[in-house]
Amino acid sequence: MKPSIPAAVANLAALLRDDIAPNLTGFRAGNAAMSAAMLDMVAEEWDRAASRLVAENATLRALLVRGSVTGDLGDDSDLRVSALEAGNENLRALLTGLHAAVEERSDAEAKSLDDAIWNALRASVENRRIASANF
Amino acid sequence: MKPLTDQLLIAYLTARMPDWRNITVSDLHRLPMGASRETFRFDLGYDDGTGSHADKVILRRDPPASNVDSDRQHEYNAYKAVYGHGIPVPRMLLLEEDPAHFDGAISLAEDLRGYHNSEYQIQQPEWQDRLPRLAEGMWTAMGQLAALPVETLDLAFMKPSAPETTAMQELNYWEATLDKADIGAEPITRAAIRWMRRNPPPPAQKLAMVHGDFRAGNFLYDDSGALVAVLDWEMAHLGDPLEDLAWSLARVLSFGKDDRRSGVAPREEALRIWQAASGLAINPEALHWWELMMCIKGQAIWNAGVAAWQKSDEPQVIHAYAAWWLRNAQDRAILELMGKL
Repeated sequence: MKPSIPAAVANLAALLRDDIAPNLTGFRAGNAAMSAAMLDMVAEEWDRAASRLVAENATLRALLVRGSVTGDLGDDSDLRVSALEAGNENLRALLTGLHAAVEERSDAEAKSLDDAIWNALRASVENRRIASANF
Repeated sequence: MKPLTDQLLIAYLTARMPDWRNITVSDLHRLPMGASRETFRFDLGYDDGTGSHADKVILRRDPPASNVDSDRQHEYNAYKAVYGHGIPVPRMLLLEEDPAHFDGAISLAEDLRGYHNSEYQIQQPEWQDRLPRLAEGMWTAMGQLAALPVETLDLAFMKPSAPETTAMQELNYWEATLDKADIGAEPITRAAIRWMRRNPPPPAQKLAMVHGDFRAGNFLYDDSGALVAVLDWEMAHLGDPLEDLAWSLARVLSFGKDDRRSGVAPREEALRIWQAASGLAINPEALHWWELMMCIKGQAIWNAGVAAWQKSDEPQVIHAYAAWWLRNAQDRAILELMGKL
């Protein structure tokens, strides 16, 4: 699509925030300002979402295989964001179970895997950060 | 939801207040406040045996779907319990629990106008020199609340608690809230919960009335930065006095996007003011546990907002906005507290 979706959505956000919201009052003004902020987040997320999810899913699959987790780990053959997100949710749920099991062990491999899981979770959070977040 | 109108309120007040005559309602409008309740403001006029009255009123209404499991009666009783005990709050006027009148229970309260409550306004350059006064007012009121002897307050409407049990009581409650609003896997939040169960805090040094959402945005302040009234008591409960302090230190609620907590003051300054006002000790390990606890509570509330948005016939923008804006930041705050960032 031309103009590009991030650019167009960012422009809509600016219009809503700077031109429309100031002409509203009370509850409507608050809703318009929050809607503008959400459009800014859409603009930010649109371009990176598929790439981020494919990379994160690959990392999660590797951890689950390393932890001998069996089951359907998916393959990201469908690159629509909705499909990648569904796969990501499944992998994160499996990782939660693996992490809890690893914490119950005291061997060296468990410690190494625990560190690897935290590293993956930290990377995931950093890659999901949005510009407007307080932290 | 039934639209709130002047006529609806006049008809209700005429039936509810038989001694009132010539009731007028004007300038009724909804305020952009709160994710959990609808808040309206209006001017009320009436005559009674003592003369003519012109009051400014805040109306709060329970919605069909909320991100917080509370109700009008709870917040109304919390305000009434703390009123007159040194913590400035608006006076409660009326509680109507029957949802038939307005499609949800309502409460009416004194409207303290002419003040500010915005957590964003105080981030503007012209407010920077007033932040120390805001900090003094905010953490002093919080410390004074922590110091209040709960035996002197009418808190019979609250769930019982004890210094030895409050920590796990809160953790159990908010974990159950997370389970109930299950919108997807939470590997970081769940890992934090497991750590907290393995490393419980010491018993609370006393039982306190905990506000439950004490942060910038939930109190009124004047042009000089002085605190005028503490608002939004719907999550008030009995608990550890460190809980309010921990919530006020939350990274996700640090609206200056820097090390000033609540966007108002550095962490050490907040602790100093609170400790001076409360006369209580701050055990660093206990405070750390409660800061993590507040991350769990936060994530549960943001997720409950998503669940409310998904099931509501009238989804609220703030529920979707808060989740997009806060959930990942909440995870990041957990990582920092657990030394994993």
